[in-house]
Amino acid sequence: MTVNETVEEFFLVCRQALAAVSEGSGEGGNEVLTQLGWWELPAAFDDPEARGAMFALFRAAGRENADVGALPALLAAPYLDDANASGAVAAAITRRSLRRGSVHTLVGPTDAQLLLVDTPGKGVALVPMSGVEFASVDIPGRLTLREVTFDPASAEPLLDEAAARDARARSLYAGRVALAFDLVGTAEAAMDLAVEYAKVREQFGVPIGTFQAVRHILAWGFTDCASAASAAELARDLALDPPERLGEVTKALAGRNARRACQRSLQALGGIGFTQEHDHHLSYSRALALDSLLGTSAQLTRELGTWLKAEQPELGYASRALFA
Amino acid sequence: MLPTTPDAAAAVDPAAFAAELEAWLQTRPPAVVRASEHVADYPTRVRIMQDLMQVLWDEGFVRYGWPVEVGGLGGSFLHRAAMWEGLARHGVLGMNLFEHVEVLLPTLVELGPPDFTAEHVPLYLSGQEIWSQGFSEPGAGSDLAALRTKAVADGDGYRISGQKIWTSWSVWADWCCVLARTGTTESRHRGITAFIVKLSDPGVEVRGIWQANGNEELAEVFFDDVFVPADRIVGELDGGWRVAMHILSHERGTFAWFRHNFLYQQLIEFGASSEDAPEFLLGDALLDLVAATACSANGVKEHAAGEILGPRACTNKLMLCTAEQSVQDAILAGDVDLAVGVQDELTDLMRQEYLFSRIVTVYGGSQQMQLETIAKQVLKLP
Repeated sequence: MTVNETVEEFFLVCRQALAAVSEGSGEGGNEVLTQLGWWELPAAFDDPEARGAMFALFRAAGRENADVGALPALLAAPYLDDANASGAVAAAITRRSLRRGSVHTLVGPTDAQLLLVDTPGKGVALVPMSGVEFASVDIPGRLTLREVTFDPASAEPLLDEAAARDARARSLYAGRVALAFDLVGTAEAAMDLAVEYAKVREQFGVPIGTFQAVRHILAWGFTDCASAASAAELARDLALDPPERLGEVTKALAGRNARRACQRSLQALGGIGFTQEHDHHLSYSRALALDSLLGTSAQLTRELGTWLKAEQPELGYASRALFA
Repeated sequence: MLPTTPDAAAAVDPAAFAAELEAWLQTRPPAVVRASEHVADYPTRVRIMQDLMQVLWDEGFVRYGWPVEVGGLGGSFLHRAAMWEGLARHGVLGMNLFEHVEVLLPTLVELGPPDFTAEHVPLYLSGQEIWSQGFSEPGAGSDLAALRTKAVADGDGYRISGQKIWTSWSVWADWCCVLARTGTTESRHRGITAFIVKLSDPGVEVRGIWQANGNEELAEVFFDDVFVPADRIVGELDGGWRVAMHILSHERGTFAWFRHNFLYQQLIEFGASSEDAPEFLLGDALLDLVAATACSANGVKEHAAGEILGPRACTNKLMLCTAEQSVQDAILAGDVDLAVGVQDELTDLMRQEYLFSRIVTVYGGSQQMQLETIAKQVLKLP
């Protein structure tokens, strides 16, 4: 079997297992990750097959709207690696709130004993979970998102600022690519609902999927998903030596396209898609929440433009994409 | 210098090829410098490109990535990809009529008559001969299978009568790959054959079309009882549809890859260099460009594996066109002179590019046809 075939097969296994969780049968998302052997995969990042399987989980989670604690573990792995540390550690994502300033967020459920917090300029610290306070953010659907606060005095330094930089870059890259895969899966789930609906919902005596206005909206939505997926796969394949800013591009593209695909599929669904009885809004909310993490598409897109102006970088990703 | 004998060339892998090319480009060869200058006059640009191809042939670079049987030195598309990227990186903003090297030529090499391609592919790759393709007709645009140009058997060949329109570069071309009907009109896509027509032959008349961007790149071509020998059929008799699909498939793989290099160069040279360019639009254009690149990378890999791209590849075409328009939108937003009109040679050239980007969603299978193909064949909508 080729690497791609193995990864595709793992993706399908992940989907099946996570679908069972989302339907309420079986155990929680993190238990599924244990059964799948997923927790060992971030440490095997250098191996294309392991890396492919590792990221495939995120696409499957998006597709099944599953609640898993994979992202905090993946984000923590590069720091632990550089600090020669190990153990159950979950990394928080820090974002800026317009009204509340800096906010630490933990994505998904976690059994980790330690919270990892990276503060650019100040280095990386570990905080015992026992002293962390959690405040759940209300997201329709199954994604757990908690804002965390802790006493800074309880933080133990893990890496100083100089030592943290390299791990920070790797963590951000892996996290952004993982979020891109989750966003792709999320958008695909929203599109699936709309495509199936267009085949059965009738108006004027025929399925609405016979009208070009509807067909083309859905074809654009498919293209949004397919192009974001291609970029995420490219970023995955180039992960060991990525061209400058490919992580930012991948995340921004996935966030933008996922929001577009959700909007297009909502338009095809009509009013039913704007109700709580229909699942579409769960995917839409998930897409919005994921887009907000590690840089929104709006922020990243603007930053990429600033970078293009300042550096006028040479075409670099092109040949690497092909030779990969 | 690169080896120019097939045996020695076989040892030059794409990375070594790219390094050799880069070393050569660093010497600032005059033909490359000239091709990177901002020249508004299209016929002059055509000659500059012909000169560039001649030099690339003499140095051997453009012979890599093509089979020995047609004058190439072997290797794969990776060699060609490295060449286009290198040229773009050194300031070449497009290849105008040699775009057919990545649209028509792969099909011609694979399905064309071997004796003919052995003689004429080297002449094309060295800039001495030029190609066009005749697909669309006044009554057959998106519905290509409705084409009516007829080819009637006559002795050891065929006589072609009819009219083609929107053929790119026929004004300059020596040869045109023409789709003509060898079956009945009702036979639709089954009764079509691809012929190689010499545009200087008696009975052929080419009339340029002055486009909204000021160029005469497109043309109408009229055929009045034009004789074409039977050994100038591409593919098989009545197999023209397959030839057309083969060409369009390449447009979604190798051409999309080829094109993104030059779009990126334009984004940097015309867009990112402008202090007035809105950062968000520059960033957004980069997103579309990387999306198109990533899609076409998959297409290229499928081509390399000998596959013809399926209906999913319509996304490649959609993304390439989206990227082309996003790039030019960002450039326009950063240079208001472009919107005002032609003031000098640079604004003339940039306006040509901007305006051309408005039509990319029409040619080579319109955006609506791509969407319809996805809706029907991928999404399986009723």
